[in-house]
Amino acid sequence: MTSRTRYFVVTSLLVLAVGLGTGLVAYFVGFPTNALTRAGGPDELRFIPRNATLVAYANVTDVMTSQLREHLRQVLPSEPNGRREFEEQTGINIETDIDRVLACIAPSLDGSSAIPGVGLILARGRFNDVKIESLMRDHGATVEDYKGVRLIVAPRESRTDSPAGSPRSGLHEDFSIAFIEPGLLAIGSGPLVRHAVDLRAGGDNVTANEELMGLVESLESGNVWAVGRFDVLAGQARLPGDLASRLPAITWFSATGLVNGGISGVLRAEARDEAAAENLRDVIRGFVALAKMQAGSKPEILAMVQSLQLGGTGKTVALSFDVPEAVFELLGQAAANRAFPGK
Amino acid sequence: MTTGSANAKPGFLTSAIRVFDLSLGQMLWSRRSVFLAILVGGPVLLAAAIRFALAVQPGALPRVNGAVVNGAAMFGMMIWLLYIRFIVPVLGVFYGTSLIADEIDDKTITYLFVRPIPRAAILVGKYLSYLMCTVLLVLPSVVIVYFLVVPIAGGGIGGEFLSLLADLGMLAAGLAAYGAVFALVGARVKRPLVVGLVFAFGWEPAVLIFPGYLKRATVAYYLQALVPHAMPQDSAVSVLMQIFQEVPSVAVSLASLAGITIATLWLAGRAVEAREYVLEQ
Repeated sequence: MTSRTRYFVVTSLLVLAVGLGTGLVAYFVGFPTNALTRAGGPDELRFIPRNATLVAYANVTDVMTSQLREHLRQVLPSEPNGRREFEEQTGINIETDIDRVLACIAPSLDGSSAIPGVGLILARGRFNDVKIESLMRDHGATVEDYKGVRLIVAPRESRTDSPAGSPRSGLHEDFSIAFIEPGLLAIGSGPLVRHAVDLRAGGDNVTANEELMGLVESLESGNVWAVGRFDVLAGQARLPGDLASRLPAITWFSATGLVNGGISGVLRAEARDEAAAENLRDVIRGFVALAKMQAGSKPEILAMVQSLQLGGTGKTVALSFDVPEAVFELLGQAAANRAFPGK
Repeated sequence: MTTGSANAKPGFLTSAIRVFDLSLGQMLWSRRSVFLAILVGGPVLLAAAIRFALAVQPGALPRVNGAVVNGAAMFGMMIWLLYIRFIVPVLGVFYGTSLIADEIDDKTITYLFVRPIPRAAILVGKYLSYLMCTVLLVLPSVVIVYFLVVPIAGGGIGGEFLSLLADLGMLAAGLAAYGAVFALVGARVKRPLVVGLVFAFGWEPAVLIFPGYLKRATVAYYLQALVPHAMPQDSAVSVLMQIFQEVPSVAVSLASLAGITIATLWLAGRAVEAREYVLEQ
């Protein structure tokens, strides 16, 4: 063996050994990949409690100014009632006042989580504090000071519609709004809003949850995303026993989407083990194959179905999709044809 | 006067190792190595380009059909589309078929055959040098691609490590099996390159998309069962492959690949032992 052949062999083996050694160390003790990149996720994550079971994000400006939104507005010209009611109650125009929104569901902070948790929405944008406070006061809200932050607390409502003995019966929900920082509004259940105010000074927030943050960093490319604990949420949802037993063994799930002319995105699930992941992949593979065969005669569905891509390794199952703008146009035409068949 | 030890005929293994030692350098520093370097360097350059593009524009993550893919999924896709479907069969075809055919074309096989060593040992030695050469080029290339691609979009190097090990083992098994099959083709057939290309890029993909037993007469059927990543649905052929996919167990796949490698190498050795190679003047 000549010396240059020997050098080649040694170099190749060295690359392999270093690579496998690094991988092995990372496998056993963990390797902070985010040490090479900046910590991901929006800044507002520091106001979310560490035990959040669902975190969702939307870049409202991107979505509202997207071609898709414009197209939907033409197809569905009427303004949704919910948005108008929200503006009347709070003085916040979702379309013009909010830049981005981060929401979470978390178990009750005192541990008495009987319902699917309590919610918190953090909205970043331009808000008229005086107008919002005055409108809320008109609707019976009271204002209190909490650690130097003005907290607008809506009147409590007793959930009398829940049957006696159910976890919801007699529960008092407390809806609050707080201006945590200039341009940052916290809306949601009182305890979570107060906790968000507490977290201003630092503390155990969701960014310390490595599992969740790892997923959040992988979702940043989308302008809407959500990540959550499927098993915890399903457990809290109190589903019928038969249905609950048929649910796939998923721990974490995540979804990310990019809304522009159309919608593209990835749905990802972390199964309990590799066997569960393979089962889930088999089920999805079957549905995708069936959908691809069935959609042949419907061009508005075919383009969407053809974009479905199943992926993922080990315990991860991923399904990516792309719904182009043309699909929404075709669906709009189909809806119009159904509404006005003679046209 | 010569001593008895000097006249002793070297054993099969010693002969194979001597041929391996001689052939490794020839194989590495031949003109074909340029082709090999381009082939295994391509994925590394592609991965580096993706990282560079992301460093310049962090939000521009790669997409498939408009959907964002993370680092681990991208790595799985590269393993399927670049290594399993292209690089491994191509290396097998070009190097495997040339083990004996090159010596015939260069009219140098006579020099090897007149040595007091078993003819099959020449083939085995050359096969081992092929395996060493390709494994030492392909596996580091995969490792570099792994470290470049998997951390994209928050992917964990540690989390995917077991799948990397499975990939490396699977690629080594694939190179061994394809090399042995094409060594047999090279030893028996007059135009081995054409036959090899037809087998790797005609027969194997065609048979895999149809239901039935024919797919068991391919290397890809057993090799693809060892891949830890989901098969990408990049074409209509892939969709058909998934519909009719019948995956043998890992044990069956490993045993079959070992069987294919040993059987075809043995048959190739026998062909070299028995065949009279006529050198064109």
